[in-house]
Amino acid sequence: MTLEEILAWRPSSGLPRAYQFPGFERAILPSGMQVLAVHLPGRPLVAANLIVRQGASDEPAPVGGVTVLAARALTEGTERYPGLELIEASERLGATLHAEASWDAFSASVDVAAPRLRAALELLAELVVHPTFPEEDVARLRDERLNDLLQARAEPRRRVEQAFAASIYTSDSPYARPAAGDEDTVRQLGRDQVTRIHRAVLDPAQTALVVGGDLSGLDLPGMAADVFGALGAAPEGRRDGATVTVPLARSSIDRTIVRVYNRPGSVQSEVRIGHIGLRRSVPDFHAVQVMAAILGGLFNSRLQMNLREEKGYTYGVGAGFEMRRGAGPFAVRTAVHTAVTVPAIAESLAELRKIRDTRVTDAELAAARDFLVGVFPLRFETPGAVVAALGGLFVHSLPDDELARYRRLVEAVTVEDVQTAARDHIDPERVAIVVVGDADAIARDLEAAAFGELDIVREEVGAEADDLADAAEGEAE
Amino acid sequence: MTTPSIGFTDERLPNGLRVIVAEEHLAPVAAVCIWYNVGSKHEVEGKTGFAHLFEHVMFQGSRHVAKTEHMSLVQAAGGTMNGTTWLDRTNYFETMPSHQLELALWLEADRMATLLDALNQANLDNQREVVKNEKRSSYDNRPYGQWFHKLQAHVFPAPHPYNHPTIGSMEDLDAASIDDVAAFFCTYYAPNNAVLAIAGDVDPAQTRAWVERYFGSIPANPAIPPLGDLSLPPTLGGEVREVVEDRVPLARHYFGFRAPPFGDPRSDALELAAQILAGGKGSRLYRRLVRDDRVAQDVAFFSLGLIGGASIVVGQATVRPGVALDVVERAYEDELERLGREPVTDDELARARALIETYELEALQRVDERADRLAMYATLLDDPDMINRQLDRYLAVTAADIQAVAAEFLRPDNRVVLTYVPAAENESEDTAA
Repeated sequence: MTLEEILAWRPSSGLPRAYQFPGFERAILPSGMQVLAVHLPGRPLVAANLIVRQGASDEPAPVGGVTVLAARALTEGTERYPGLELIEASERLGATLHAEASWDAFSASVDVAAPRLRAALELLAELVVHPTFPEEDVARLRDERLNDLLQARAEPRRRVEQAFAASIYTSDSPYARPAAGDEDTVRQLGRDQVTRIHRAVLDPAQTALVVGGDLSGLDLPGMAADVFGALGAAPEGRRDGATVTVPLARSSIDRTIVRVYNRPGSVQSEVRIGHIGLRRSVPDFHAVQVMAAILGGLFNSRLQMNLREEKGYTYGVGAGFEMRRGAGPFAVRTAVHTAVTVPAIAESLAELRKIRDTRVTDAELAAARDFLVGVFPLRFETPGAVVAALGGLFVHSLPDDELARYRRLVEAVTVEDVQTAARDHIDPERVAIVVVGDADAIARDLEAAAFGELDIVREEVGAEADDLADAAEGEAE
Repeated sequence: MTTPSIGFTDERLPNGLRVIVAEEHLAPVAAVCIWYNVGSKHEVEGKTGFAHLFEHVMFQGSRHVAKTEHMSLVQAAGGTMNGTTWLDRTNYFETMPSHQLELALWLEADRMATLLDALNQANLDNQREVVKNEKRSSYDNRPYGQWFHKLQAHVFPAPHPYNHPTIGSMEDLDAASIDDVAAFFCTYYAPNNAVLAIAGDVDPAQTRAWVERYFGSIPANPAIPPLGDLSLPPTLGGEVREVVEDRVPLARHYFGFRAPPFGDPRSDALELAAQILAGGKGSRLYRRLVRDDRVAQDVAFFSLGLIGGASIVVGQATVRPGVALDVVERAYEDELERLGREPVTDDELARARALIETYELEALQRVDERADRLAMYATLLDDPDMINRQLDRYLAVTAADIQAVAAEFLRPDNRVVLTYVPAAENESEDTAA
């Protein structure tokens, strides 16, 4: 055969190897803490994640950012391992301890070789249960966050995200501010608030230890009971028996608004278009996944094909729902050459209307469905990915078979389901269009385009930066 | 822990294509990775950014694949894909459910064999705009955005081809023509200039048969022009300093050093040095500058391995508000010089070794990383088995090795200090001051 004859023949796929999301075992310790263990033969590096269903959206508004700060301060030392001794002990095991908090959860994790799992879990427990939160280290981490907020203002991508969240949520919704807090709240944080929130979140009934890897020969529930027994004794101030709540998410917009944050001389406009989206518990989750993939998730999504591959306005554009315990944002996200800001917004809005007004084609449905179904085994190749997915199940109180049935439910999505999901969850006539860019270069065109009420914010970033810098430094010394 | 033992076959087709297959069946996943031995170092003056622009054109279709259909086919098969361009090389990769391996091989073969059939002015113009927007969003519209471009220009003075950025200049991107694309393809995108690595849940015999079928009759280019002599003096021979005003709220020092080429045993000692200096909260720079002295917001130190005469080592420290620039610089440099003055402690070395061991094994869990590293070691060092020896080399590094490499390279006369300072640009700053 000639090369032409060979290449003209497109290969068909072979037979797929059977794949199931790995099964896991659940044990419940006397304290109420859950232990989820997933045995992955041949994976000697074990991933362990202690996860608590209490996050930044559960904290009181005046101390916004305290949960994230508490997570960051966990690694600053414990009663038995003061200062950096805890970090050093974990490094000797070849393990990196990591703690973080998101809107939905507070977690601490470690990856370690299976033979050293017990020793690493002991350090993880020490870190989670007995942190000392030294005053000066908490203050340093708080000041680092204040400095990070300065950096965020100067970085168009981060600035537009903050401005977008503040534009779509009412100010009494936690999601209106950054999860790690803003200037006003973070400045007031210190050891007392951090200690208080740490006590409040550590409720074993809302805690799970998720461990994945080659666990042959390991009695994980027994190990967890030994190591995390201390979690059973309730300290004063704990939110025991607290149910997992749904954070308030109220829209602050009832018509389309356009907000431009002036950044003179910007060669691109960072653009976000959207509104409040969905909770993770939304009943038509799988139809939403397929719809969002077609609109702005696939590499060749409608938005990408239009704005990138046809028009060349951008390096990339995406759209999607960030689903949290409460309703997270829905947004189109892109950065476009300044000169095409208005047409890029117009095309994005047109795509939002189109996905509601007309049905997607069978080919579009198949492309999205086949990707989401087919890529499933790729997503869970490593223990870390499996553990993260199981942690997500726990955080969102989803049924145990949520991942096992995922592909079946995605396969069942129809073109009608996609259109219904778009109509129910996307409202192109009531969006916030938030731009960080050169206002002088784009204001006139934006005015003429009349997408909605236009508001140009020309705050003096430099002046604010100076104030904040002084404040941060003043408190540090 | 066990050191990795990745079995693979390594052979060449008659047309020169090097084919590496590493079988492993833990997950039903297979990775394809093809490295072309062409990068931005092959570009000449007036044509910077071309290797990367060309990478974009590789997704615009070939004789049997329509524009952007590459992505559609891979994603509909449940796969992921991308390509990257760097100073030394360009790579393309697909990770697929294993029963879709043949599709990925066919896609790579079709564009290696027939790319020019689909090339047209509209697609080139479109991707030129996409790449210009990539340059804007990755560099031009970001605070500190040009830091690496400035460091590389100092560490590799012209006419060395590492001198210019891989992303290129707007002028050169504007000037790129269809003829340039065609000539570049004919010169460099030949089977004898590529390594194809396949890793994961594959049948090696079937895989080799497919590779021979799809790639076997693509003609070689016997006349790939060799690069000139890229050798460099081992060190800069004097400190270079530059101060940049930018729209940044916090000042930041970047440091650059010339370092041994990729694959040189001294690079292994530098990797350990990087771990000890800035690998996490237990590291020296973090401990001193961020935690104890509280003069820096963050620190970093890492090396980027290159084969063209020398590598580059990069450092960073962001200055906390109200702290004098030179306080941070002196503390940072002092820690680097201390590494050359006295040996690291046994405990520091043991911790660094343990962490590097975990990181290596963690990375090699994934089939895409295995395929990428096999192709990388074959392309850059002609030694794919380095995938099985690299960890042992790291673990064999001694305190004396670290001290020696630090003394030789992390020294003032081999140093670039690039300092970003907030621009005094608006009136409010004047009134505030």
